[in-house]
Formats: sequence, C-alpha cells, structure tokens
Amino acid sequence: MDSLITAAARALATGDALGALKRVALRDDAPALALRGIAMAQLGDLVRAKALLKSAARAFGPREAVARARCVVAEAEIALVSRDLTWPPKALDAARKVLDAHGDKVNAAHAGNVAIRRLVLIGGLDEAERALGALDPTPLPPALRAAHELVAAGIAVRRLQTRAAHSALDRARLAARAADIPALTAEVEAAALVLDTPAARLMSRGQERPLLLAAVEELLSSGTLVVDACRHVVWNAGTAVSLATRPVLFALARTLAEAWPGDVARGTLIARAFRGKHADESHRARLRVEIGRLRAELRGLVEVSATKRGFALSPRGPQEIAVLAPLVEGPHGAVLAFLADGEAWSSSALAIALGASPRTVQRALDSLAGEGKVQSLGRGRARRWMSPPLSGFPTILLLPGPLPSD
Amino acid sequence: MKKSAANILREYGPFPGAERVNGVTFDGEHVWFASGDKLNALDPASGEVVRSIEVASHAGTAFDGEFLYQIAEDVIHKIDPKTGRILSTIPAPGNGGDSGLAWAEGTLWVGQHRGRKIHQIDPETGKILRTIESNRVVTGVTWVDGQLWHGTWEGDDSDVRRIDPETGEVLERLDMPEGTGVSGLESDGGDCFFCGGGGSGKIRAVRRPG
Repeated sequence: MDSLITAAARALATGDALGALKRVALRDDAPALALRGIAMAQLGDLVRAKALLKSAARAFGPREAVARARCVVAEAEIALVSRDLTWPPKALDAARKVLDAHGDKVNAAHAGNVAIRRLVLIGGLDEAERALGALDPTPLPPALRAAHELVAAGIAVRRLQTRAAHSALDRARLAARAADIPALTAEVEAAALVLDTPAARLMSRGQERPLLLAAVEELLSSGTLVVDACRHVVWNAGTAVSLATRPVLFALARTLAEAWPGDVARGTLIARAFRGKHADESHRARLRVEIGRLRAELRGLVEVSATKRGFALSPRGPQEIAVLAPLVEGPHGAVLAFLADGEAWSSSALAIALGASPRTVQRALDSLAGEGKVQSLGRGRARRWMSPPLSGFPTILLLPGPLPSD
Repeated sequence: MKKSAANILREYGPFPGAERVNGVTFDGEHVWFASGDKLNALDPASGEVVRSIEVASHAGTAFDGEFLYQIAEDVIHKIDPKTGRILSTIPAPGNGGDSGLAWAEGTLWVGQHRGRKIHQIDPETGKILRTIESNRVVTGVTWVDGQLWHGTWEGDDSDVRRIDPETGEVLERLDMPEGTGVSGLESDGGDCFFCGGGGSGKIRAVRRPG
C-alpha cells in the first residue's frame, strides 16, 4: 500500500470516514476506489458506495484476486443492507471461494455469513439453516461473530426454538460487547426484545392471556391440541395439520376450539365460516360437507362430533384444547400472522390462505408496507411478501477491509 | 536474471501497539520501522522495541547517517531521531502514492507504488532529479554496495529484486514465500535485508546473496 492509502485506511479503521475520503477523494486507482466505496457506505450513501466498489473490483489487477474478492463481499453486504435482491449471489459465492483458497478465512466466513443473511431475508429458512450449520464461525472476529449469532437467533425465533434463540443472543451480546461497537450492541438488545415481548394470545376455556415466545413453544409441545391462528395450523404433540389454504375449514376449527368444551350452534358456525351470510338450508348442507372435510383433515388429532344444536370438538383422552391467536386480529393482523412464518408469500397465495379477495389482500399489504411492517421483493407475478426479519441480522455494515497486504 | 527463493534468516514481531509495518530503515544499530502513528526502534539482536517516536508514518522510512526521513500522507518529514522533532518537510514525488524510501549518494529515492516507478529526489526541496521505471509495484527501496534493490508485492506474490539503476532492468530476484509480503526494505549494509511485512506486523531478515 502507498502512503495516502495507508493513511486513509487508518482513518477508516478508526471510524473517520470523512478523513479517509479527504485523503483519497481525487484518486481513481483500485485501492483508492475501494476505500472511497467503504467510506461512502459508512456515510450512508449506499448507491455511490456500490458503484465505487464495483469499479474498484474491476480495477484491481489479475494478481490481486483477494482484494477484488473483498470488494465483491463488501458490495454484496451493501446490496443486502439496501435490500437490493437483484444482486447476484453467485458472485458472492465465487468471492468466498477465492478468499478461502487464499487463506483469508475471516473474510471467507464473513462472505458465508452475508450469503446466509440474504437467504433469511428472502425467506429461504431451510437453506439458511443448512448453510448456517455448515459455516464454521471460529475465525470470525467479535463484530462478525455477533452478526453470525444474530442470524442464528433470527432463524431459531422463526423456528420457535426459544432456548436456541436465547443462547445465540447471549453469544451475540458477548461478541458485540467484545467488538465494542455500540450500534451493534443496540441491535442485539433490540433483537433480544422479541423474546421478552408477548408473541401471541392464548384462548382456552373462555379465558385469554398473552404468551411469550417461550410459552408458545412450551404450549406446542405440551400435548394440548392447539388451533394456531398465527399460522393457520392445528398442532398436536409434534403433528401439524396445515389449513393455511383452507380458510373455511380453519374458521370452523377455530370456532369449535374457542367454544370447547362447549359446542357451537350451526348458525354460529355458518356465520363465522361463510362470512356472516344468513343461514338457510343450502348453508346447512354446505356446513355438513365442510365439517366432513374438517373431520378428515383432523383425523388422528381430534374428533368432530355432532351435538343437538351443532358441533363440538371431542378430544380422544384427557387432552386440553386451546386457540393460539395473533396479538392483533383483523385483515391486517391475519396477513401479518401468515408472514410471521418468515417465508416469502405471493399475494395470491395469501388471498387463498385468508379466503379474501386479491384486492383486499393487496390493500392490506400496501398499507402494512407503508408502516414498514412487511416488505416485498421481485416484481409483477414474481413478487413475494414477507415480514422484515425481526431479529434477523444487524443493519449496520460490517464490511471487510478491502485492501490487500492486510 | 538470477532467480532464487528468499532465505528468511529471522522473523521479528508482531509488536504490541504496532498493527502494521509500513517502512523500515537501519541506523547501524537499530531497525526503525513505521507503524502508522509511530516510528519504532527495534534492537535486531534482542528483538525488542527499545524506543518510539510519535510521528505519522504511512509508508517508507530512510536514514541518512544522522536524520530519519519518513513518508506521511503526501509529504516526507525529516526527523531528528534524538529529539523526535520534525526538522523540515518536503512534498513526496508520488503525491501520496508513495511507498518505499531510501537514502543514497546524498539523495532520496522514493518508490511510487502503483506508478511502478522509483524517483530520485533532492532531499532539500523534493525536486525530482530522475525517474526509473519498474514493471512491478514498488513497496520498498534500498541501496547497498552500489546496488539498487526494491520490494514488490501484488496479491499473493512478493519479491525483492535488484534492478539496473540506469535502465530499470531486473538483474536478480529473491522470491518471498507465498503470503509473505514486502512493505519496506532496508539493507544492514552487509548481507542482510530487513523487510517490512505489512499487515502481518512482522519484520523479516532476508539474506542478501553474495
């Protein structure tokens, strides 16, 4: 490295982005472009930062593969933080391999971490989980370690593994403190809030109370039959029957579960399941059909028996029945509830799941997006919606040092 | 051109409080190295840092028999090693793209990193007297026994090479092991070079072929 580059890199390392820029602002050689890119990213101009890093990656010579790969990783992280999902993941993977082959284990692991954060962001939880398991976080310095543990926590939260989430957050907290970056510590604390804030409501035997995530996890493994209105799933001791695309059946199951151990009158079931239409003979016939379908779906979990005035759930033993409901109900709440699974949904799939018109769902999504509660990626028919990764990963940049000879 | 693998005699460092080695020189007793915000005097026999001077030190370092010269940003400071005071300052010829500094025959020789050049300059004014072209980035310069040597470091490849000061032709090359870069080069006047190791924070003694 030359003199001004060294001086600028030192300034950057101490957080003096303007000092770094001042020294290399007028230079267009590869290391200067890279430093300008990182400095601009730290100053928040992500568009300019990306352009600079792209030209830096091009400007490094064929012998400078490591420097170029580091620029690519920085570019990918900036794309991720600016939610630009058009950025090619293949380039990131190629850069990771170059860094690995040249013994730059730290930045190779960082590249792997960025790739996993991207998977979480686009709702590829299974793939993210696999990649997380395959990544060795040992070489990561504290700041990157904290980011890594935050991703692990984010996935564990989505998977309702609160113990795993707790320990990942504890490790993230320690790493963030060791890194001594206040913004990162704040991110970890914000992420940890999700475990101390009620995640859902429990409705059982006519009573209602808020539940923390850990209590939700406990409930689902307790043997109680849970009609989960957050995910539109009926759970029992590890068995799940998804009614996400059967809104009528789900409405019936929920209504019956809320009334348990009592029964529900036909008229009430018709009103809840068929959207408040006045009950007549044709509705009664349709109700019989739908109850038959529900019986078939829940076979093995719970019986649906006929009573004098309607229907009731009858457990097959000393089993409790409860409803797990989102904290906020209503059309927006239901949309949020579906997105809480962390997967990417199309609006048409949401419309089917909610039993609502595509237009209604679209309006709900637009208004939620306006409040920053949901985000979309892709365009047209390929557009997908998801909730922002609550404790997914830090939003601050943890860019690799771009230069060789480090 | 003669080509051989560099023979590393000894490794020093990394030293606490000095993340990088940006330049090295030798005053006959101590190896001075630039670590960013300090010039540090290393006793090559014990391997201990015995003294430090607080001064910006971003690239090459040189010694003229009495004073130290140190590149900082886009200037060269002349420093009294006894007091640590900056005595004078001249502009660096590469405008901040400078890397590598040596003293010889009453003039300073300054490597220009990506410019792949070595400038001979007037130590009083900074005026460029002559320029030698290299075909590699220059990361350190030294003169010994009338021989001009410079370090290169691009990606994983680094070497120390002797060039013809008139034509720039490479006469001899010592290849450093992979991943071992040269940032700063100084001869001890005998058969040993001191090579700065950049971000590794190390200094390596490399045998000069006889």
